[in-house]
Amino acid sequence: MKSVRVAVVGAGVVGFSTAVCIAQALPYCSVTLLAEKFSPDTTSDGAAGILWPVTFPDIPLERQRSWFKDSFDHLLAIAQSQHSPEAGVILSSGWKIFKEGPANIKPLFSELVIGFRYMTDNEMKRFPDHKFGYAFTTLKCECSSYLPWLEKRFRKAGGQVEKRKVNSLQELSNSYDIIVNCSGLGAKTLVGDSEVYPVRGQVLKVEAPWLKHFIRDGDGKTYIFPGIHSVTIGGTRQEDDWRLNVDEGDTQGILERCSQLEPSLRKAKVLSEWVGLRPGRKHPRVEREVVHLQGRSVPVVHNYGHGGWGVTLAWGTAQDALGLVSQCLHEMKLQAKL
Amino acid sequence: MRVAVIGAGVIGLSTAQSIYEQYHSIVSPLTIEVYADCFTPLTTSDGAAGFWQPYLYDNGKVEETKWNKETFDYLVSCLSSPESIKMGVFLQSGYNLFKEQVQDPSFKDTVLGFRHLTEREMQMFPGYTNGWFNTALMIEGKTYLPWLMDWLKKRGVKFYQRKIESFKELAESGADVIINCTGVRSGALQPDLELEPGRGQIVKVDAPWLKHWILTHDMKAGTYNSPYIIPGSRLVTVGGVFQLGNWSEQNNSIDHKNIWEGACELEPSLQHARIVGDWSGLRPVRNKVRLERETIQSEGTTIEVIHNYGHGGFGLTIHRGCAMEAARLFGGIVEQKGQGPKARL
Repeated sequence: MKSVRVAVVGAGVVGFSTAVCIAQALPYCSVTLLAEKFSPDTTSDGAAGILWPVTFPDIPLERQRSWFKDSFDHLLAIAQSQHSPEAGVILSSGWKIFKEGPANIKPLFSELVIGFRYMTDNEMKRFPDHKFGYAFTTLKCECSSYLPWLEKRFRKAGGQVEKRKVNSLQELSNSYDIIVNCSGLGAKTLVGDSEVYPVRGQVLKVEAPWLKHFIRDGDGKTYIFPGIHSVTIGGTRQEDDWRLNVDEGDTQGILERCSQLEPSLRKAKVLSEWVGLRPGRKHPRVEREVVHLQGRSVPVVHNYGHGGWGVTLAWGTAQDALGLVSQCLHEMKLQAKL
Repeated sequence: MRVAVIGAGVIGLSTAQSIYEQYHSIVSPLTIEVYADCFTPLTTSDGAAGFWQPYLYDNGKVEETKWNKETFDYLVSCLSSPESIKMGVFLQSGYNLFKEQVQDPSFKDTVLGFRHLTEREMQMFPGYTNGWFNTALMIEGKTYLPWLMDWLKKRGVKFYQRKIESFKELAESGADVIINCTGVRSGALQPDLELEPGRGQIVKVDAPWLKHWILTHDMKAGTYNSPYIIPGSRLVTVGGVFQLGNWSEQNNSIDHKNIWEGACELEPSLQHARIVGDWSGLRPVRNKVRLERETIQSEGTTIEVIHNYGHGGFGLTIHRGCAMEAARLFGGIVEQKGQGPKARL
């Protein structure tokens, strides 16, 4: 069978992960990744990249579990290997603390991170405003390193990269047999998904090399994530807010709240500020459909809408999307025989 | 009263601090002087990784466990202030790894969140069968010692770069009490057959992606004779060796090779780390810490000495508890000399 042409739209962590999965698993496909923005200008680049268990409504738990577990296992292997610094993937231990809420419910998928346990009273003493917390070890995946690392692997597997803004699936229907849509927030216009909305996040990068643990408030708005060369502190979760400019009020709020949790931050030098728009959606859209474009029926596999969990779920959803692409191929083969 | 502290490592400086804290308003005037042949950044305390962890078992030395705990609790209390960064104190978690079943350590209730490693975690360390995870403290000598010196200088403590040849020398120049914090070279002032150097060598590397300390233990080879990797605030300290009786402060190539190979096996990503340099130091090893008062009679004069040395590889770990105990012993001398608070009857 002649080479099947696959287009992957989007060069964020989901786009590249999906492209690599396909290129590595399906050598008889020629895969081209197309995107307007590449690292360091993607949403993924600014994200701290800490892996968090998360659950969404309307998706079977087993499937979500695989999304998380596959991603975690994949990245853990990198973190444990000599590639860790180049790929920007490291182990990170720390605490998730809560001011309120039911303390006795163990979060779903907590067994998928490492060493999950409740914090002791002694540990909670450092956070007098908080009632309980979890301690565990997870992974941090820094996309400013990870995306170039993925791109290397993609090209090695025969993948091609094209810098181009894709305005409609139509544009691609003549040149490609299967389209994989990893356009994140762009899916709103690319495929007209009105359920996608931005969740604005602002973060600061500070110089605080003495900080070795992550600390995150259960409300999701205050967090400290030590990375390889700097510490990312944040954040904000402003729904339907499209502003990409830095908000000074947000900066002050972040500094104040984070310094409350970690007093030594008051002495940290601020290196930069960044704003990104999480591709919010009720749940990630990982499914396939057949779209009629210019008289052709083109299989499209969607993999977008990961909200603040792009890094967390990229590899797992990419594997899922790969399965869907395989199904498309299978159907194409059957049709070709008719 | 004049107090002469000999030694400007973490023990000497922190003892000076505790004496000042507890007695400057009781004894007036209280003059504290620190004499040493070397100061930060050239002391043994400076070269150490600065990781708080006692030896695994105290073998009945409950006082040492108490002093270790006091030090830990004190340093943790410092964390709530932004000043902690100027002190070089911060939290760091990590792994103690073993190739056999071992008992829980003396410090399990002192450190934060002590637990045994899960099976999944053990898979991360091939060759090791079990271990522990906990959050402990870092206290970096190169930052802590300058902070202590600054603290002392602000309160009028004077420093003298001088090698003291005898206690008598200081007594004759007017010191009322001598605090002997001379570490591994204490034997030069007063022979001590129990004191020996425990030579250590470390490699400092640039590997900022590492955020956990990892200490391996070989119960046969002994403490610190097994690979360890301890990230600091800027560089990572890789070790280790523990050579009893070896006085050499020169870096040794064979030690370097063994240390480096052991560490890279433990943490493969280290192969990409830039090596900054090696350092060798002599741990002041003794079967137990010498922390006691001694009244020396010499040619008709009485010399009051408080010994505070022999902290092996746990000087930074135990310093505060010992300093406070030394200050307490000092208090005994103060009372004896009738210089105590006037309310005594």
